[in-house]
Amino acid sequence: MELFFADIGSNTTISWKELLKDLNRSTTYNPYCYHSDFYEIFKHIILSLLLEEELILLDSDFSDEEVDKLTGCSNFSSFTKIIDPRKLPVISLKNELISKIKNTGPQWNITLFTSGTTGMPKKVKHTFQSLNRFVKITEKNTDDVWGFAYNPTHIAGIQVFFQALLNGNSIIRLFGLSPDLVFNSIEQYGITHISATPTFYRLLYPINKIFPNVVRITVGGEKFDEKTIDKLKPAFPNSKITNVYASTEAGTLFAAKGDVFTVKAEMEEFVKIENNQLFIHKYMMGLTENKINGWYNTGDIVEIVSENPLQFRFVSRKNEMINVGGYKVNPNEVEEAIRTINGISDVRVFAKSNSVLGNIICCEIVKFDENLDEAKIRSFLQTQLQEYKIPRFIKFVNELSTTRTGKIKRN
Amino acid sequence: MERIKTIINTILKNRGKKDIDSIDENTNLRDDIGFDSLDLAELTVRIEAEYDVDIFENGIVNTVGEILQKIERK
Repeated sequence: MELFFADIGSNTTISWKELLKDLNRSTTYNPYCYHSDFYEIFKHIILSLLLEEELILLDSDFSDEEVDKLTGCSNFSSFTKIIDPRKLPVISLKNELISKIKNTGPQWNITLFTSGTTGMPKKVKHTFQSLNRFVKITEKNTDDVWGFAYNPTHIAGIQVFFQALLNGNSIIRLFGLSPDLVFNSIEQYGITHISATPTFYRLLYPINKIFPNVVRITVGGEKFDEKTIDKLKPAFPNSKITNVYASTEAGTLFAAKGDVFTVKAEMEEFVKIENNQLFIHKYMMGLTENKINGWYNTGDIVEIVSENPLQFRFVSRKNEMINVGGYKVNPNEVEEAIRTINGISDVRVFAKSNSVLGNIICCEIVKFDENLDEAKIRSFLQTQLQEYKIPRFIKFVNELSTTRTGKIKRN
Repeated sequence: MERIKTIINTILKNRGKKDIDSIDENTNLRDDIGFDSLDLAELTVRIEAEYDVDIFENGIVNTVGEILQKIERK
């Protein structure tokens, strides 16, 4: 049996043959993908590719409020369409499926949501071409087995999915599993490639086993953490470890050894650094709601290490996004949600550095309703925001600490 | 031990989960209590606020006994 997907957590294994059977049996299509099951998400993406239909990918943990705000509706059943069988010819072979997907036309697109700078998550649209610019398809990759360690509805997860799909690899779910199940999965399925955030790897420690079958470890989504990476080496002695920089708007852009990123010659004309700020040319980007004229400011502050070839190191993010274990949280969005609670007069959301997740969301609240406590606020926020955006530590104060310019201080 | 239990129950309550009645040194934070990475992160903040020690500084701890060791070693 040629394995397409396996998940020890839910006891699922799906072969490529079963995938084809499921696809061939599909009779309806809905452009909104709002599942928590990994296989359902993958199947939905593949079906949209075969039909060349638009797909809107929603995080399964978006609250009803968030879904309603983002899409303007909370029930998507009215969008279900009957599939015209002429548009979905029966596919009986794995290679046939892959070559059909490789020929996806420019009209197919996928919408993802990323933390916007104004408070609401913003839409980013990608075409097949913009998503797969960095997918490596070679003979050498045919037998790769991917440990899938990202959220499947986020850009990093989508890119790993396409890398595996287009090479005909097996995908093994690791995201959200306990360390023991992660270790069992790596061994049982002979995983060769893992791509994940530093937080994912940190949560595996201590690793008392050795996994010689893993040949490539990729780290991305958060600031590179040398201490974390050093601890990986003994458990994965045969693995090359690379650090990647990616954004929802552009996907994977640069790879680094250690913390110095090198811009490849073919990328040079699409990257510029001005006043230590990193700009990416619109050619590299997915389509965002805001039109980008020529150059897009990533908001990242970098330090140039060498000019030729262009090499740099990240210093900090200019914008206020807080990175919680690879998820970007906009403090303004969280503050807005908290301000809607009765009995609260003011709030300041900030990050506190944390040894598990890199950062953790905290807030100070000025309240005038004495009965309001942390548990009440948290339970209300659970109906408004995704769990990782909810402050984990709430301090009630008489007055917020502000910076000298009167702006709310973030750190 | 009682103090740790109170902290664990605060975290569970904040997420709308059920309290636990008893813990011992072998109680596993993830398998027995059901903590995810966000809960573990919150646990570090609360323990640090109270005992001034970052229990995850040198790698993840898995059981209540390991937390107690870290606090005592301080």
